Amino acid sequence: MATSTLWEAERVPAPFDRVARFAFDWLPLLIVALLWSFVSGAIVPEAILPAPLAVGAKMWELIVTGTVLPHLFISLVRVFLGLALSVVVGVALGVGMAQSDRLEDFFDILLALTYPIPKTALVPLAILWLNVGTKTAVLIVFLACLLPIILNANNAAEDVDQNLLWSAKMMGTDGRRLLWKVVFPATIPEIMTGVRQAMPIAFIALVSAELIASNQGIGYLILTSGQLGNYPTMFANIVIISAVAFAAVRGFEELRERVIVWT
Amino acid sequence: MDGSISISNLEKVYGEGAERTKAIEDLSFDIEGGEFVSVVGPSGCGKSTLLYLIAGFLERSSGDISVDGTSVSAPGTDRGVVFQDYALFPWKTVKENVLYGLEEAGVDGEEADATAQRFIDMMDLDGFEGKYPKELSGGMKQRVALARTLAYDPKILLMDEPFGALDQPLREQLQDRLLDIWEDLGKTVVFITHDVEEAVYLSERVLIMTRHPGTKKDVTEVNLDHSQTREEVITSQAFTDTKNAVWKELREETKSEVEP
Repeated sequence: MATSTLWEAERVPAPFDRVARFAFDWLPLLIVALLWSFVSGAIVPEAILPAPLAVGAKMWELIVTGTVLPHLFISLVRVFLGLALSVVVGVALGVGMAQSDRLEDFFDILLALTYPIPKTALVPLAILWLNVGTKTAVLIVFLACLLPIILNANNAAEDVDQNLLWSAKMMGTDGRRLLWKVVFPATIPEIMTGVRQAMPIAFIALVSAELIASNQGIGYLILTSGQLGNYPTMFANIVIISAVAFAAVRGFEELRERVIVWT
Repeated sequence: MDGSISISNLEKVYGEGAERTKAIEDLSFDIEGGEFVSVVGPSGCGKSTLLYLIAGFLERSSGDISVDGTSVSAPGTDRGVVFQDYALFPWKTVKENVLYGLEEAGVDGEEADATAQRFIDMMDLDGFEGKYPKELSGGMKQRVALARTLAYDPKILLMDEPFGALDQPLREQLQDRLLDIWEDLGKTVVFITHDVEEAVYLSERVLIMTRHPGTKKDVTEVNLDHSQTREEVITSQAFTDTKNAVWKELREETKSEVEP
């Protein structure tokens, strides 16, 4: 059965395979960049749509001169805080709702109603409560990530194999201990899937919030450079935050593989 | 305290109103400590329900089940359960799975380690201590499940079609292993199966249940000489006669299933 394949050495891709694979994965991006180069200048004036090379040069400048770094740092802090907060609250609520019908009934309608609301629409309201700045951005990221995380945690906690719970009970685990010893570990893979799904949402929410309600951060840089007509800088910042979000998601996927070695 | 089970006037009803179905009706049966009893019956006769009631997973509707004279109200470490789907903790390694019951019982450190290792070795799992369940075949998973259950030393083994998902040669291996364990460790075993041959080969008595609602139809005594090899036992007249007798009784029940 499955065991026999375990002992076989994994097929090591030939170096060429790896290069070909890499090229293939990144080809669409290259095509978009080439199209962009063509359109910029030929169809749309370069003043409005700067060429990729100009954007690249600007990015390089922003990074080596360090002008972007404090903003990037504050943005990352905000996205991390918002996401971390949503994981703590979301997992507690999701698992809790699976354990208690009363809790589920209490939150069910609220969650169903608030799920479709675009959380970024709440930015103006959030400014009223928390003023312009980090708190508002964190709140928006938190709200945007909360529901996917609750839902994943809740589904996983409801689906914990009955026989696992029974086995643990038979061996003397009960009450709250059952939650820690069985329910929680059994839901970790899906919780991490939920976090993975929430990560791009977190970055969207972050930039949206910073565009309106911040004096710092990448979103703020995008807005101000746009308002000043400094389009290479605006594009450079958009590319930077996309690249950072991409790296964060890839990094998290790598972490996920390492943490849940048992699946 | 030898692991005897006493079941009297047991009744289990699922659902209410129009949904109400009686799974078990007026079942009385006693199992002595150290006895190996198999339960066979047509599908849906409530044999798994019976096992889960003894385990304390389900609440009985009326009647009583007692283990060593104490009425069963919840799961507990005097009993151990082995499921068909193994129910190993996927996030724990083989060793960690086997240690689980010991740790929950407050045994730890070297003592727990030595006990776990003893049962890992008994099940020929040495070398696989650090593997996760997903890395093991079905037969190995079931051996881990057995080791995990035996490690915390319950007096009673409750087994729910434990070898049902395995192919014939593996099933036979594990049957013989289970018999060895039973003889060495002196556990009471309640073994649910739909395989008549398996029931007769393993047990001292076979409880045959009626079809829906399930109750005791008959109890067949099995007298086989297990000092003989499997080949000798299986081909013996005693085995064939007992198997046929159980099969006929079971057949009466399954035949009636065709009726509307």
